[in-house]
Amino acid sequence: MVTAIASTANGRRSPYPGWFFLPAAIVYGVFFLMPTFASFYFSLTRWSLFEASFIGLENFIQFFREPFLVKGLVNTVLYAAVTSGMKVVIGLLLALMLTSQIMGRGLLRALVFFPVLVSTIGVGITFTVLMHPTKGAINEGLSLLGIAGPGWLTDPSLALFSVALVDVWKGVGLATVIYIAGIVAIPKDYYEAARIDGGTKFQNFLYITLPLSRPATATVITLSFIGGLRTFDLIWAMTKGGPGFASDTIASVIYKQYQSGFFGLSTAGNVVLFILIAVLVVPITAVLNRREGHQ
Amino acid sequence: MASLSLSSVRKNYGALPVIKGVDLSIEHGEFVVFVGPSGCGKSTLLRMIAGLEEITSGKLLIGSKLCNDMEPRDRGIAMVFQSYALYPHLSVYDNVGFGLKLAKTPKDVRDRKIREAARVLKMEHLLDRKPGQLSGGQRQRVAIGRAIVRQPEVFLFDEPLSNLDAALRVDMRMEIAKLHKELGATMIYVTHDQVEAMTLADKIVVLDGGVVQQVGAPIELYQRPANLFVAGFIGSPKMNFTPVRVDAVNGNRVAVSGEDVINLTVEADPSNVSPGDTMTLGVRPHDLAPNQAGSIVARVGLVERLGNETIVSLELVSGTNWLVVLDGDRPLARGETLALGADPAKAILFDAAGKSVTRRS
Repeated sequence: MVTAIASTANGRRSPYPGWFFLPAAIVYGVFFLMPTFASFYFSLTRWSLFEASFIGLENFIQFFREPFLVKGLVNTVLYAAVTSGMKVVIGLLLALMLTSQIMGRGLLRALVFFPVLVSTIGVGITFTVLMHPTKGAINEGLSLLGIAGPGWLTDPSLALFSVALVDVWKGVGLATVIYIAGIVAIPKDYYEAARIDGGTKFQNFLYITLPLSRPATATVITLSFIGGLRTFDLIWAMTKGGPGFASDTIASVIYKQYQSGFFGLSTAGNVVLFILIAVLVVPITAVLNRREGHQ
Repeated sequence: MASLSLSSVRKNYGALPVIKGVDLSIEHGEFVVFVGPSGCGKSTLLRMIAGLEEITSGKLLIGSKLCNDMEPRDRGIAMVFQSYALYPHLSVYDNVGFGLKLAKTPKDVRDRKIREAARVLKMEHLLDRKPGQLSGGQRQRVAIGRAIVRQPEVFLFDEPLSNLDAALRVDMRMEIAKLHKELGATMIYVTHDQVEAMTLADKIVVLDGGVVQQVGAPIELYQRPANLFVAGFIGSPKMNFTPVRVDAVNGNRVAVSGEDVINLTVEADPSNVSPGDTMTLGVRPHDLAPNQAGSIVARVGLVERLGNETIVSLELVSGTNWLVVLDGDRPLARGETLALGADPAKAILFDAAGKSVTRRS
């Protein structure tokens, strides 16, 4: 049986004996599989952490009755789309700059990646102060230029996008690093062949860099879209879903239910989020990762 | 006219000189092969002609244009890369037409040129495929197609066959030779494979250490190598060498002997040889023949039987190893002692600096 595990699906034998996989399988089972299946079960119960009574799909019905859930759903998808879109565009542009012959390239690469290493809560608190409508540095700076800055986090139509902007600032370093790896892996011969053909810098970007960094684009979109869909910490640190419910996402709605002691209900919300991510991300990655007959 | 000339061309990487002053002229329609070991500067020289490497000093003329600082696209060249550099996301059709698309050539002209190149290279049936769906030989063809559509004055090939297996290499070699005849264009071809160089070239340029060692027709390089390096590099199996001393000079016949050689007469230019000189004798494995009265005595080592011929490794008196090529069916046993004679008209003497002192017209 052990050797049966060691044989892979396509009939090739693994070079390692089956029991090598056991430690990882145990860790994965206990810490990932069990909680996942447990949450599927608890989403069908009224649960007080100590007792759980089965109530069927009532939590899901209740969850979808939440008055601001639709707003939360729309916000979640919007947030994910805006942050991943901006990370792709800005990450690619930064990577192009940081793979070209510029001075202080190493230092600039480190600087771009730095925000990724900072605590999200810290970033959230800092930007909340910076984005204060009257005393924040951003609006004070704008007022020096004679521009009346908006209420970044207090204007309901702006709050979600302000948080998204901070999310992009914090996460674009990772996207840039992924793009840098993708771009430097493109063989130099392609650019030299294009140079002999008379390609301009823009044509090189359009016909070589962009299509050949597609795997990097797929990775950036997938990671940042999933990250955007399940975003919670930055939203909670900056707006707590407010003003009102203007910047609520599914994760913050779930957290509020959890805070109120509706553990079964919030678990059902998590199952909904899980399904939402699967439904949106699986087709996106399938399209992005379609192979193009690479050499 | 697509002649090409290099005069005193040098290339330095920082303080490191890699091309140390190359003078070369290439006629219109000539097939020139740059050959040499890894790191000899042959690819660098080709890339300098292409415009992919800057020329540190000297002059590069293509036709009558000084091209030192000219952009590659304006030089009238096309290059086939070792890796083929085919864009994996584009079809064969788009790969072949890529340069024309960049140059904003009208679509109908582009289509005509692509199909014409495909016809010449017999790859019409491959036009819709992606490079990943092609064999090595087919990719090679596409890479050549991409060069052809540009209708360049000079084709540059950078080790184009080195990624192919031996059998395919022979086929593609013939196809490139055929293509050269059909197109009549000037071609410069870089390889480290001297068989490729010998079979394809009108003119071979042997490079070592960034210096041109010899320029000439293949047979000239084989028969009259200018120095020890060319003698050892051109010809397969390699030329055999051993140190000798000049005993006597009689007209253009020089008698030499050494630890491995007893009284051998070689033809040489008498003006460069005096009795008592220490020299290196070079004899090609094909120019040795068993002869009881021969001047070289050796013990048979490894015997490689290839069918049509037998390659025998020999251990000479001094311990030097030589090779000799004999008939395919000659009976030989390891350890046997063999006396060999060398053809005096084909053996070559090199002076202490490694320069050939043998002149033959």
